[in-house]
Amino acid sequence: MAQLLLQSVWLIPCYSLLGAALSALWFPGITRRTGPRPAGYVNVTMTFISFVHAVIALTATWNQPAQQFSIPWLQVAGLDLTIPIEVSSLTVGVIVVVAGLNLLAQTFAIGYMEMDWGWGRLYSLMAVFEAGLVALALCNSLFFSYIILEILTLGTYLIVGIWFNQSLVVTGARDAFLTKRIGDLFLLMGVIALLPIAGTWNFSELAEWARTANVDQNTITLIGLALIAGPMGKCAQFPLHLWLDEAMEGPVPASILRNSVVVATGAWILVKLEPVLSLSPVVQSTMIVIGSISAIGGSLIALAQIDIKRAFSYLVTAYMGIVFIAVGTQQTEAALLIVLTHALSMALMMMSSGAVVWNSITQDLTQLGGLWSRRPVSGLALVVATLGLIALPPFGSFWSMLKLADGLENSGHPWLVGVLLIVNALTAFGLTRAFSLVFGGKPKQMSERSPEVHWPMALPMIILSAFTLHLPLILQSLSLLPSWADINTNMALLLIWSSIFGASLSAVIYLGNYIQKPVQFPIKALQDLVAYDFYTPNLYRNSIVFSVAVVSQLTSWIDRYLVDGVVNLFGMVTLFSGQSLKYSTSGQSQFYALTILVGVTVLGVFLCWSSLSHMVLVMTASVFHQQSLG
Amino acid sequence: MLSALIWLPVIGAALVGFLPGNISASRARIGAIAISGVLLLWTIYLLTQFNLVTPGLQMQEYLPWIQTLGLNYSLGVDGLSLPLVALTNLLTLVVIFSSDLQAPKSAPLKRPRLFYSLVLLISGGMAGALLAQNLLLFFLFYEVELIPFYLMISIWGSEKRDYAAIKFLLYTAVSGILILAAFLAINWLTNASSFDYAAISTQGLSQRTQLILLTLMIVGFGIKIPLVPLHTWLPDAYVEASTPTAILLGGVLAKLGTYGLVRFCLGLFPETWSLVTPGLSIVAAVSVLYGTLAALAQKDIKRMVAYSSIGHMGYVLLGTIALTPLALVGAVSQMVSHGLILALLFYLVGVIETKVGTRDLDVLNGLLNPIRGLPTISALLILAGMGSAGIPGMAGFISEFLVFQGSFAAFPVPTLLCVVGTALTAVYFVILLNRTCFGKLDNKTAYYPKVTGLEQLPAIALTGLIIWLGVQPSWLVRWSESTTTALVAATPVYEARQLAMSPIVPLSEVSSHPTISNPSIH
Repeated sequence: MAQLLLQSVWLIPCYSLLGAALSALWFPGITRRTGPRPAGYVNVTMTFISFVHAVIALTATWNQPAQQFSIPWLQVAGLDLTIPIEVSSLTVGVIVVVAGLNLLAQTFAIGYMEMDWGWGRLYSLMAVFEAGLVALALCNSLFFSYIILEILTLGTYLIVGIWFNQSLVVTGARDAFLTKRIGDLFLLMGVIALLPIAGTWNFSELAEWARTANVDQNTITLIGLALIAGPMGKCAQFPLHLWLDEAMEGPVPASILRNSVVVATGAWILVKLEPVLSLSPVVQSTMIVIGSISAIGGSLIALAQIDIKRAFSYLVTAYMGIVFIAVGTQQTEAALLIVLTHALSMALMMMSSGAVVWNSITQDLTQLGGLWSRRPVSGLALVVATLGLIALPPFGSFWSMLKLADGLENSGHPWLVGVLLIVNALTAFGLTRAFSLVFGGKPKQMSERSPEVHWPMALPMIILSAFTLHLPLILQSLSLLPSWADINTNMALLLIWSSIFGASLSAVIYLGNYIQKPVQFPIKALQDLVAYDFYTPNLYRNSIVFSVAVVSQLTSWIDRYLVDGVVNLFGMVTLFSGQSLKYSTSGQSQFYALTILVGVTVLGVFLCWSSLSHMVLVMTASVFHQQSLG
Repeated sequence: MLSALIWLPVIGAALVGFLPGNISASRARIGAIAISGVLLLWTIYLLTQFNLVTPGLQMQEYLPWIQTLGLNYSLGVDGLSLPLVALTNLLTLVVIFSSDLQAPKSAPLKRPRLFYSLVLLISGGMAGALLAQNLLLFFLFYEVELIPFYLMISIWGSEKRDYAAIKFLLYTAVSGILILAAFLAINWLTNASSFDYAAISTQGLSQRTQLILLTLMIVGFGIKIPLVPLHTWLPDAYVEASTPTAILLGGVLAKLGTYGLVRFCLGLFPETWSLVTPGLSIVAAVSVLYGTLAALAQKDIKRMVAYSSIGHMGYVLLGTIALTPLALVGAVSQMVSHGLILALLFYLVGVIETKVGTRDLDVLNGLLNPIRGLPTISALLILAGMGSAGIPGMAGFISEFLVFQGSFAAFPVPTLLCVVGTALTAVYFVILLNRTCFGKLDNKTAYYPKVTGLEQLPAIALTGLIIWLGVQPSWLVRWSESTTTALVAATPVYEARQLAMSPIVPLSEVSSHPTISNPSIH
């Protein structure tokens, strides 16, 4: 049974796609008859099937060697595009996480979307995301990974744009799509350029090739830079980070999935491409620099946000930055572990914030407060998520961070450990701040009547909290944790102290009464700089957007007045010199057309005159010929 | 077999147009649908009969016609023309089916019988041009196309139709004259016995002569495609023409230009073509960037789509000049997928225009609204726009990708510029979609007529086909692969490249091909 399910693990994305196709029927077709809810139930069922299938398959593949098989797709002109599938404990494990999180997110959506009509679209898109992520995990080829990323980019556009009649949603969807797409197209350039020199897109073969490759440094650097541009867009790294924050305008269930696993698609590609990327030291340094900037920048920006969802979403940029650092220093295992621990905690965090926002009317941190007594589930969920995300033993991220810090110490860039500690402290500070502002203190006007959410939202939170708490145990049972004897105690202590320092400082500031609220940064300009996201939106508006707009207007002007103008002038002067002014009036031009037609016809008849009699004969003959053929 | 593709629509046109008596519009429509349906079925039958591994002509027909002129009635089909014939007949059916569907019948089609017969004539003429294996015969069909198109623009067009029609006519007439001149010169200078494609060999001509002749043809076909800067007839013609005419112009007629490039420029002058490709690669990149940038600045969605067409034809040009089998098969697939996607876009824009009454980006808003908007049409528009922007899963992506991958080795910089063009395509389609489909529907004006199922049917069918070809692209490329490979193999660049560098792909497949028995490959 388990073996059979393992063999048919490729069916999992098909379940989701089937669910997506089925719920498309509710858009808007039968919604009027049944209401929007069945679309959701169909998809939850499908995801549940996927989850069960994946879990059973995981038991079958555990401790077994990876299996490879391939599905033929296209063979043309010597280019062989076969889909290579890799079924290993890692890929099936990823599927379990994705399907599980999607199941929880979809259950959460049953509660969250209670009053909404857009179930069909939301659920079908979430199913598409699940299918894409699962397929990405299974497929072992850069080319098909690119295809999936592109389709998910379109998915992001649509899922952020679910509430399309709000203008912020529309711009958010636009920016998300365009940012990711620009990253994707650089990735495409890399994909295209890589094939002639590597001869394959298969990740395993690429790794094999990279081991012995002797390539021109400039070429491989350019290709490597193009290849990391795609993940940069997906992982919302500086300077392509803006979209994630704007994407928070979309519904929370989509954000749960996006902030936990969809952004991780970029990290996954990076990890898979690591052998190729490490061919060029420039690319590695670029990854480290981008990762460091994003990690510190993201966690700093998060401190200054007053929107609860944004305060959390910038942490995604920060943690993905850490993943970039990890891949840049060839710590792929640590990178994957961070992705896993981050995914669970971040999903839980988004659930908690979604639950608070859902019936508190506002998502402004400064207007909330004192919810701890009334909302134990949401509060506990946020506590657990915080514990899971910062490096505090015995919870998940401690182990992944420790693994990374260990590696960084020996990587030749020991200063990166400092970056890690700063990010960890800032994250601890930011999360404690958010928790204190929402759940601590006294109830404010907006949070006075804010009861706990109903079960479809509470249940996934509770389940996910339990999983987040138990993650270290799960990891241990999979023997992914180091034994106590091997622990680098110095590093562990540094991490623990940075967490405690950040969290306690924040608690003192925000829970205590020693400091005037609202808390200000010491320097106003610095606060603005961070609060307005380093002014990157303005930077974009004034540089790229502006120049594209100017160039396109210029092209249009040239087209209309120069190219077309010259043609019109030419036409008027030469062809209709006498009556140029009448040339575009209706009666006249038809007359010209007629003369041209008559002229052409006369010419044709004249040319063929000698054999026109012959032609009649030919025509008759051809008819007969046709009959005899037919 | 092939003659039926030409003469059935012509006879049909005559029947619909000139049959005495007072046939009602709906009767004429049914008749026309029947004829084009039979045509499409016949095309499908031909597809099943087509031999995929033969690179040369199949199902040939030959009748001596006017021997003194060298004009013979010689037809044949190969992997280059077959997909385009299928595209033509499919779009003909779509156009005829959809042209008189308005519900409620606020504006019935003017002069329906003339309309249907012209559409059928276009279909017959296109088939003739694509199947003709005689240069003069091709030219006759090529010119015959102008008349129905001219009439369709000038009778069913919108306000500035006469200007647009005249412009179209003059441009394409110049194109015809250039091509005729080139064909006549080829015939005289090579002393060929006739204008038959097979009888012509340009080997003996001096390179200078070849270059002049080739330039004449490139300009001639370049007008038809159109390439920047020969394109100014296009925005006016596409925008002023009614939806069915625009579909036929963009989906069908423009393909004659690219077909001509491959068949006559590349096919007749393989050596000289290799010389001009570097220059043409710049033209391709410029066309792509120019078309997309100009589209970005438009306020009229139909004009935006029209400019997008200029950009997309740039990819086809890029594929034809790279001279790799991959790029050329990509170019042929791009002709087909561009035809399908452009037709779908024009169709949807047409529906929006009829229902909402405007094409202005500043006025349109929120059509995705499930209650009072046009939700299905908007959803399809999103898919079509994204397909045009090259999102995988739809036919546009795989064709563009094959072109890019195939031409990267030959022309890296123009190829990368074309990829940038795809990014810009995404930008203007997002602008289009954000303004048209997203946003808030104005409740005061949103009393749009319902879109009936019959009106949705052609769009849904086209979308289905586009997605199917995107998911199963072998159905898109299989028809042309052997023909295009043989065409490329005839060029000296290809041979040189095979010798010079270690190839990307294992050659076993290419060289085991029956037609390429070039010992230098091994």
